[in-house]
Amino acid sequence: MMIKVNNLQHTFSIGKKGKEKTVPVLRDVSFDVKRGEIVAIVGKSGSGKSTLLQILAGFMKPEHGSIVVNAQEIASLNEAGSAKFRLDNYGFIFQNFQLMPSLTAFENIELPLKLKGMKISERRTRVEMIMKKVGLTEVADHYPNELSGGQQQRVSIARALVTNAPILLADEPTGSLDSETEQDILMLIQQLNRELDLTFIIITHDEEVAMIADKRFRMHDGKLVKDGDHRVI
Amino acid sequence: MLFKDQIDFVLQHIKKNKLRVFMTVLAATMGCAFLIVLASIGFGLQASMEEEILSNQSVTKIEVMGGDAQFTAEEVAEIESVENVQTVLKTTTMDAEAKSFFEDRETISGVRLTNFTDYASIAKPLAEGTYPKNENEIVVGYHFGQTLLNEADRKLIEEKSKAAEAEGTYYNGEEEGYKSSLIGKEIELAISSHDNPDKLSERMTYTIVGVMPRPGYQWVIENRIYMMDEQRTALENSFKQVMVDDSASDFQLFNERYDIYAKSLEYVKPILEDLRGKGYGVYSVTEQLDELNIFFLVLKVGLIFVGTIAVLIASIGIFNTMTMAVTERTREIGVLKAIGASPKLIQRLFLMESTFIGVIGTVLAIAISYLVSFASNLLLPIVLEAATGEANFSNIQFSAIPWQLVVIAATISIGVAMISGLRPARKATKIEVMQALRQEL
Ligand SMILES: Nc1ncnc2c1ncn2[C@@H]1O[C@H](COP(=O)(O)OP(=O)(O)OP(=O)(O)O)[C@@H](O)[C@H]1O
Ligand SMILES: [Mg+2]
Repeated sequence: MMIKVNNLQHTFSIGKKGKEKTVPVLRDVSFDVKRGEIVAIVGKSGSGKSTLLQILAGFMKPEHGSIVVNAQEIASLNEAGSAKFRLDNYGFIFQNFQLMPSLTAFENIELPLKLKGMKISERRTRVEMIMKKVGLTEVADHYPNELSGGQQQRVSIARALVTNAPILLADEPTGSLDSETEQDILMLIQQLNRELDLTFIIITHDEEVAMIADKRFRMHDGKLVKDGDHRVI
Repeated sequence: MLFKDQIDFVLQHIKKNKLRVFMTVLAATMGCAFLIVLASIGFGLQASMEEEILSNQSVTKIEVMGGDAQFTAEEVAEIESVENVQTVLKTTTMDAEAKSFFEDRETISGVRLTNFTDYASIAKPLAEGTYPKNENEIVVGYHFGQTLLNEADRKLIEEKSKAAEAEGTYYNGEEEGYKSSLIGKEIELAISSHDNPDKLSERMTYTIVGVMPRPGYQWVIENRIYMMDEQRTALENSFKQVMVDDSASDFQLFNERYDIYAKSLEYVKPILEDLRGKGYGVYSVTEQLDELNIFFLVLKVGLIFVGTIAVLIASIGIFNTMTMAVTERTREIGVLKAIGASPKLIQRLFLMESTFIGVIGTVLAIAISYLVSFASNLLLPIVLEAATGEANFSNIQFSAIPWQLVVIAATISIGVAMISGLRPARKATKIEVMQALRQEL
């Protein structure tokens, strides 16, 4: 089992100090993910999907529960440990791409390798290889604002892939794209999943996206329910 | 992240905000330059004072309280036996005038008697010639030749002095006198008393074998005659010929003074202590220097403190710039953290940026300070001379920047720059990823 989540629980407190209201966002969430699986988490807006992903990613600590990835408990890591874990194990794909506006496509993809302290010559070959894989060779020197939405999302996917991280976390990866571009990106995800044996956890409220998943979970009022296995080819 | 990549990262951000960073660097430069220039006044004046004190005196000289205190031969032997005492030099000054005649020239000078073996061991080398070996050999002061005047010279000097007086300056007669070497020349010498300068003794003949070095103070005219101690009786006899009655019974023709010389500067203090323990009243110019140094230390610390305030004011600019930089880049910091940059790295990147501002500001400040220091040493004397009409400022150093001052100022301003970047850098590490990523472009 690659990822094993057990009894995750999280509560937000909102409102002014002194009159806070507590909002339970995750209630006893448990699920497993196997290596090479595409897992989709669907659910209505506000149901707690993004919160779950953030906790999985280590952006914040859960109130309760455990997350075991590759036999390592990560819910209790400190900030530095969690950052190191992310760098080695996770790639991120965001709805609004989250590219650095002052860096070119090439440099954006290169960034995680710089964080890893890789030498420049190695970085170059690696980035070029990934760019070829996601079909970006032509736009290497473009800045994000000179790229289409689909191209930006490809850059963001390339950045997530470049470190050879085994797990990719995606929050609404096609949320800002038109349906044609969405199809391209979904095909790319499926292709990467097949070729590189990558594990995907995709958050979406779009049933279309969920169709490519091996396993689907539905988030409802902070509870996660399995939706049955099915894969559409 | 490789160090080179960190540098690239920082430089890229600086390039993006050139103007803002430039203004901050400018403030840091001004603060640091102010600190250096202000403190350089303390260093400069101290150097001038030290030079003033040391220029005409040997630092190894230990003076005896009262100056003309008489030592017995036993006392001299006792002092000389103290460790690291080079010599006890006895100098005898004749309280009468000596008039020298050479060709058609003449001059009036004072006479000193000394033991040249002792003297040679502590004195600066002669400007010319050797020390006397025979009784009728003498050494003369550096300006002796210049003061040897004939009728024509005296006229010229009078004219030049008048012209100088009209301009409000002063002519020292350096263009006249005997210009060739005096070594080997014979002069005739007559003694006269101060009370009756016109009555001269019989002339005695001496040979000049040496010329003393130039005196430390530029404005001193030194034309003394230096003879061996053995000439004392000869001079006494000559003086008897011109003595005015026996007017003052307590008149002494010769005054003796003893000066003790240490082998080198570091022995002066122990010798002073030793001699004081033995009951001698002794002091050294180096003690004056010690007091002076304490005074200047306080002055310099005060000036550096005031200068540091300017650096602190500049640091407010650095703090603001860095806070802005962090706020502006919240989303980018969020992305960096999301993809796995450690909080430490993020803190380091921002600290490097504020350090960069401090370093560039300091480097510029050092360069500017040297220019300002050089210019003020060049121009202030001219301005002061024009304002006061006096010509005494050219050898005063108003500003000096030794490397110690550069190190102190650089430490203060780079340190302050780093400290003022610390809070913004911490703030950057505290940014929450999700909050940051929610910010739209
Ligand atoms: N930082 C926060 N502080 C307080 N409440 C929060 C915070 N983040 C999310 N919430 C609340 O938690 C609940 C779940 O939010 P979450 O973003 O996980 O929903 P979601 O399923 O991702 O919705 P969407 O599909 O619209 O993205 C919402 O009610 C939201 O108001
Ligand atoms: Mg969401």
